[in-house]
Amino acid sequence: MRREERGNLLPIPSLPYLPNAERQMPRWGMVIDLDKCVGCQACSTACKNENNVPHGSPDEQRLRRDIYWNKMIAATSGKYPRVNTELIPMPCMHCDHAPCVTVCPAKATYRREDGIIVQDFRRCIGCKYCIVACPYGARSFNSKEQEEEEYYRPDLPPDRDVWGQWPFPTRTHGVVEKCTFCFHRIDQAIKEGKKIGTEVVPACVEDCPAEARKFGDLDDTRSEVSRLLSSRGWIRLREELDTKCKVYYLPK
Amino acid sequence: MGLTFSKIEGNSRNFKILLILFAGFTAIGFICFMVSYISGHYVLGSSNIIPWGMPITITIYLIGLSAGSLILSSLTYVFRKEEYRPIARLAVFLAIILIFGAMIGIALDLGRPEKSWRLFMFFVLNNMRSMFAVNGILYGGYFLIGIVYLGAIFAEKYKFVKTMGIIAICWAALVHMGTGAIFGFIATRPIFYSPIKPFEFLAAAMVSGLALLMIIVVLTFKFVKRNFDRDVIFSLSKLLLILIIGLAVMVLIDKLTHLYPPDREPTIWLFTGPFSWIFWGLQVGCAYVLPIILLSHPRFRKDMKWVMVAAVLVVVGIFGERFSLVIPGTAYPLPFYPGKIEGIWGMAGSFPITPVESFMSLGIFTLMGLLFLVGLKNLELLPVGEMGQQTPEITQKT
Repeated sequence: MRREERGNLLPIPSLPYLPNAERQMPRWGMVIDLDKCVGCQACSTACKNENNVPHGSPDEQRLRRDIYWNKMIAATSGKYPRVNTELIPMPCMHCDHAPCVTVCPAKATYRREDGIIVQDFRRCIGCKYCIVACPYGARSFNSKEQEEEEYYRPDLPPDRDVWGQWPFPTRTHGVVEKCTFCFHRIDQAIKEGKKIGTEVVPACVEDCPAEARKFGDLDDTRSEVSRLLSSRGWIRLREELDTKCKVYYLPK
Repeated sequence: MGLTFSKIEGNSRNFKILLILFAGFTAIGFICFMVSYISGHYVLGSSNIIPWGMPITITIYLIGLSAGSLILSSLTYVFRKEEYRPIARLAVFLAIILIFGAMIGIALDLGRPEKSWRLFMFFVLNNMRSMFAVNGILYGGYFLIGIVYLGAIFAEKYKFVKTMGIIAICWAALVHMGTGAIFGFIATRPIFYSPIKPFEFLAAAMVSGLALLMIIVVLTFKFVKRNFDRDVIFSLSKLLLILIIGLAVMVLIDKLTHLYPPDREPTIWLFTGPFSWIFWGLQVGCAYVLPIILLSHPRFRKDMKWVMVAAVLVVVGIFGERFSLVIPGTAYPLPFYPGKIEGIWGMAGSFPITPVESFMSLGIFTLMGLLFLVGLKNLELLPVGEMGQQTPEITQKT
């Protein structure tokens, strides 16, 4: 554990279901099969529902002010009739060498021990340096006060008295937001002793109708993600920046 | 040199009108800031694709201008050039006001400005790998050093002043290079990413600061109605010419590097896209080409009027340079995936000019003008003229 990260970490209980007792921490990652992805945007919608990400207006979208935790891009190559458009869902890549963590002056964004990059709204001062530094455009600035009742979520685990970050009952404008790999689900599942990757997955993985997304421990050789990565060729986006991101794509 | 400094009386009508005008615009700016603070940053021009807007542009511009003032004061107190002594106090005071305005600019850009104290919790709550946090030390230290420096000048402890002057110049250089590093170390944005950026910022700061300084020297002497050696300005203009050429060469190397693969699209877009008029017109035209012509032309460089025109062009042009770095620097879409990205994720951002942001930006300048006037009235900054005249009308608008 690096020095500057000490004290910022969630107290994550040990994982009793893991076979290898030496391994303390999982390294959560996601595999997205572009062969199966149909671009239905179910992941984007699921993310907005799960995390109460505000829906933007068309005007806000045109001005690039709406908040996306999971976005879908379409990349076209070739010319008609030899044309190919690929649909690529892009959550936060949760890089191991995250540029946003490096540049954040207030330690508001940091890497948890299990590899998830989280954003602490209470520490965030809204300097937007992380938006400038993120190579994947995964971060959004909350530039408008959203309606209160939209964020009332009694069904999410009441963790806020323990650590206070999530779920954020009154989300505030003026801070930067991003995908969290639904860590509230993961933490809850660890408490309840459920198996992550099969029983409990992030909302976008759960809602994908084509089962194009898989979530699991990249260090666990028995996980579904490890099996997929070893069986097929994979790519990661923007490898040239050496971010070592943990979202893998299986190309067509 | 029997030079005495005094406060100005500040009783004239013009002074009061100016004071009220500045205070009024500052109040409007403050109201606009409160609007953006309470209702959110959607009232500003910045968005998720152009996260940094006008306040950051103004901030780095003001930090640059602040340097020139300190360099001038050092000419007197460190290098013993007595001809600048009448305005040396003013220069240090101006440097403090400018860095204060720059810090206000950063605070206006923050989404949660009430948490800006977190920027100054060095090594405790700050991530010191972030250039922003490192710059917190530099800006804070610069502000403090400036105040101690000015205090020592008022106390007339000239040995201490000389030491402080040397520290202040070195620290000023660090401040500008650190500011450049905020931009230059970001590998994601090809227009920003350059190891030469800190030096480019230092050169730009010295150029704009020196040009502002020349304007202030001429204006001040005009208002104090003291005669001064015109060769001073012409020697400064030679220095300005050399600095502009140095800056232009650095920018040329920077942009040429970015015209070579990889990541050449953003720079080509900067040269030809919607922001190209700022780059070619303001940055290249006003800041480099026209001043170089004016200052090297055998006839114009001997004419005080044209030298002043060149200085004003530089001050305006360097603002264009800051603008064409900050705003188009992030506007070009990121290449997430090979191929043409469709829809909004593949479109370059636009930067709408909004009234709230404009008045907020104006408010930064008028706040500095207000502080400047208050300082003139309450601190012994200006020399007493030969005929005992005072200078209520002096209004360098920085």
